[in-house]
Amino acid sequence: MYQQGDTVEVVRLLSVRKAYGKNGAQVLALDNVTAGFAAGTFTAVMGPSGSGKSTLLHCAAGLDKPTSGSVVLGGTDLSVMREVELTRLRRDRIGFVFQAFNLLPALDVEQNVTLPLRLAGRRPDPALVRRVIEQVGLGKRRRHRPAELSGGQQQRVAIARALVTHPEVIFADEPTGALDTRSAQEVLNLLREATSVSRQTIVMVTHDPVAASYADRVLFLADGRVVDELRQPNPEEVARRMTGLVARTEQRPQEGPWLSELTR
Amino acid sequence: MLALVVRTLRYRTGGFVATLVSVFVGTAVMLACGGLMETGIRTVIPPQRLAAAPIVVAGNQSYDLPTVGHGEDAYHETATLSERVRLDERLAGTISAVPGVAHVVPDVSFHAEVLGDSGGSSVPGTQAGHSWVSAELAPYRLTEGVAPIREGEVVLDSATAGRIGVHAGGKADLAVRGGVRSYQVTGIADAGRRMAADAVFFSPAEAAGLRSAAGQVDAFGVQLAPGADVNAVSAQIGAAVRDQRAVTLTGEARGSAEFAKAAGDGELLIILAAVFGGLAAQVAMFVVASTLTLSVQQRRREVAMLRAIGATPRQLSRMITGEAMIIGALGTALAIFPGVLLGDWLFGRLTGFGVIQPVLKFEQGFYPVVAAAIVGLSSAWGAAFVAARYAGRTRPVEAMRENAIPTHWLTPARLWLGVSSLIGAVALAYLTITVVDGPLAASTAGPAVTLVATAVALFAPGLTKLLVAVLRRPVRAFGGLPGYLASLNARARWMPMAGAVTPIMLATGLAIFMLYFQTTEVAVAEKQYTDSLLADAVVTSATGEVSPDLVAKVQQTPGVAGATAFVTSKGYNEKPSDATQDEDGVDLTGVTADGVARAWGGIVESGKLDALHGTTIALPSDLAQRLGVGVGAKIAMRLGDGSQVTLDVVATLRNTAASSGALMPADTLAPHTAAGAADRILVTAQPGTAEGDLLAALRSRVGDVDGVQVAGREALTKAFLAEVQANAWVNYLIVGLLLVYAAISMVNTLVMATADRRREFGLQRLIGSTRGQVMRMMAVEAGIVAAIGVFLGTLVAASMLVPFSAAVSDSLFPSGPLWIYLVILGLAVVLTVVATCAPTWFSLRTRPSPSTLAPE
Repeated sequence: MYQQGDTVEVVRLLSVRKAYGKNGAQVLALDNVTAGFAAGTFTAVMGPSGSGKSTLLHCAAGLDKPTSGSVVLGGTDLSVMREVELTRLRRDRIGFVFQAFNLLPALDVEQNVTLPLRLAGRRPDPALVRRVIEQVGLGKRRRHRPAELSGGQQQRVAIARALVTHPEVIFADEPTGALDTRSAQEVLNLLREATSVSRQTIVMVTHDPVAASYADRVLFLADGRVVDELRQPNPEEVARRMTGLVARTEQRPQEGPWLSELTR
Repeated sequence: MLALVVRTLRYRTGGFVATLVSVFVGTAVMLACGGLMETGIRTVIPPQRLAAAPIVVAGNQSYDLPTVGHGEDAYHETATLSERVRLDERLAGTISAVPGVAHVVPDVSFHAEVLGDSGGSSVPGTQAGHSWVSAELAPYRLTEGVAPIREGEVVLDSATAGRIGVHAGGKADLAVRGGVRSYQVTGIADAGRRMAADAVFFSPAEAAGLRSAAGQVDAFGVQLAPGADVNAVSAQIGAAVRDQRAVTLTGEARGSAEFAKAAGDGELLIILAAVFGGLAAQVAMFVVASTLTLSVQQRRREVAMLRAIGATPRQLSRMITGEAMIIGALGTALAIFPGVLLGDWLFGRLTGFGVIQPVLKFEQGFYPVVAAAIVGLSSAWGAAFVAARYAGRTRPVEAMRENAIPTHWLTPARLWLGVSSLIGAVALAYLTITVVDGPLAASTAGPAVTLVATAVALFAPGLTKLLVAVLRRPVRAFGGLPGYLASLNARARWMPMAGAVTPIMLATGLAIFMLYFQTTEVAVAEKQYTDSLLADAVVTSATGEVSPDLVAKVQQTPGVAGATAFVTSKGYNEKPSDATQDEDGVDLTGVTADGVARAWGGIVESGKLDALHGTTIALPSDLAQRLGVGVGAKIAMRLGDGSQVTLDVVATLRNTAASSGALMPADTLAPHTAAGAADRILVTAQPGTAEGDLLAALRSRVGDVDGVQVAGREALTKAFLAEVQANAWVNYLIVGLLLVYAAISMVNTLVMATADRRREFGLQRLIGSTRGQVMRMMAVEAGIVAAIGVFLGTLVAASMLVPFSAAVSDSLFPSGPLWIYLVILGLAVVLTVVATCAPTWFSLRTRPSPSTLAPE
């Protein structure tokens, strides 16, 4: 594992570049991104639309292969792994929470939660599963199907599924994007708890400053580059820096994927 | 994993209905065809009129052709003689001498037609007249009256008597050899069950005189003494008659003694079953693969999520295969009972339409069920393979995006498969053109078109994109606002649109092809027939024979150039032998020397036709060459009833489409046929004589002779066409099945594609469209889809129809009425529009609200 200072980094990106499209009409989603996510931390990745935050998540999770650069997860270099190995990695060592389409509509809550374990061929420990489901507050609805749950409840099931395999890192892509404030709060509290109590490493992509304030650290992306970092965030400061970012990008709408060096 | 599959199926039942129905229909049809094939393979012909005799001794119809080749390469083919091989009546004594035989009943059949009987059932190759002595062989029992004893007395069977309304004591006019006479009906007999052929019983003395071959019988029915063992006695009888060209039959084999010509139907059934069943299997696989793939496409977000959380492509593949196999097993199980019923029904239709004789016993045992089940499950598995590959290739990230529409459609697999399909189609087209022959032509043409359709389906996305671009201007120009929106949609969604176009293309292409193939074949057969028709008129007699006097009379009628008796049979060359001779032998036509010399002089290459008297023959020149003989040579031939003759070659004939066989004197050939006599006279008119005048002259000349009928070319052609149309029915059956499948696929695709766009409609309504505007837009889109589908379908059909027409007729266009094409077009358009607009209407019923835009 790479060490930065005296903390262990679970995920590390080194000079990662990701380009889409053919030569000429190429879009650079990530431009030489180097970042690390320490164990037991809750990091939020923020940026305006098109900044590459979802792409960063996908590359870090092994869902997408970077054009150049490397991604190391828990000591394993993702760039040399084949698709089947990456799949197993995702199954055993990573947890996912997406904005939508997290659950299989045909299965009930308990079956959805145990899905990764079944895919791995492992028999789920019923006590553990029950505990995780209760942890997210859905103990009474174990046998319900997603269609019978609200959006917030569905996201909580997704979190339970992500937690049940004790992954090295949980990647969440706009988990509260489609939720009302109260459900969003519940979901974010759960994530916060997972980090504070169980030392779960979480990387969350969001555009909501309130959601970002639940994290230990916020990374700001703009035009495919990490341009800012904020520790112990509060919503107002996050919002201020976001506004600054957006203003700066708006000043130069036509120019390519470079930004004046914003290092703090 | 299984639990997951089962729960998914229970949750999404609607989406799998189409796949289930496809497997169900396909398995049922294959099961039915399996039954037909088993029937054909077994060819069980139960005896009807000879059922009560445990042992039947009949003539041996099997003939070994002369050996070809030498030493180790020597082989010979076996043929079935085309005429009835008869037995000497004195053989009865030999058979009676065998221990265990109680008594021996001779069986003879001869021509006896009841005048005024409109629709008797009859089996080709059987005759109705019998001696009362053989009535016990069925057994026919008297229900009214008494047996015929004297000359002039008959007993009718109850079916015939019912039709002409006669009871015991009445009279009936019968046409028998020698003329039409009035007979006293002394009784009515019934066999206690439905018989395929009618029976008229004469007194034994009269029957002996009426039969066509004196001193000969058709078969012997053997009754056993009590306690005798059938197999032992039959073996002994077999030994006793060994040198007499006879066979000893027991059990179900006895039917072949009664219905000698029905044995060929077995082969026809096998071919029909193979063609039909094979096509059904092909189309089933195609449709099941497409419905399953569509269902997987609909679930792409779930699939992407599964891939993201760690499901390997193999696990996904197993899930999809599990789904497909469960549906396959369910569909197959449901199809077993209907499939058996369908087989029975199909067999009934085939016999009812005269395609095969109603004397075969329908057998559907265990094997067809097993075979159909295996094919049904295999097609489900194959379909799952295709769908699972698609799912495995899904990239988690791409599929999770909104409106993910793949743009790279031409994978190497597609290209390779498409090109090889085209090559296969060209090969089959070549075969069709060179081997075009009756019902067999459909067996290569059908698959050829399917291959072309497969190739077009594989390239459908590219073709759709192209055609959408072509249609853009006209649709915008004439479509108004709905047209504008529809054309935009079409341009953006050309991939899903290609998925909707494919089944329409398949349905219309196959329908157009099969129907016009049929009409063209009939038209070509008609033309060939009329061109080859050597006669301008035909004179027939109800007595089943035309006497030389009658022929002479017709010859002397004014306006007649030549009149000849006409009888057909088959023979085989023995010395010298023809190495290329196969089981079909040589076609022999018996004619009157005088008449043909006058009328058909043009076909002679060397020699003279008026020398055709006695044991002579005129050979086609290519056969003469192969035998190495010319005019004046002697050849030995085996005739249709097994007798050998030595013939002098008096002429050689040019090869024309009309006559590819040999000519013999009718008086020499006829006694060796089953009927025993020529039954018609062909009349060629003098040049310049109108048909109407000719017919009138003939009628006035010979119309007074009892039972004589005169018919012109038109009547003949009509009779010929009626026969050809019976075969057409098979083609219509195939078309019907294909259309059912294509309709399933079409409706399924359109319904699912439209239901998938619910959110899009909701959004449109929120921004201000009325329901009507959305409906109109969808109607125009449906119109575009239908137009592209029909255009491609026409192309597919034309790709095979044009070469076919060019090969068999002289024009590039298939012959047939235009309204067929228009009806197909209309149906395709209507079905597309309905299948698109109905689900649209359903999804527009609820009021739109922002929550409908939320992800499902």
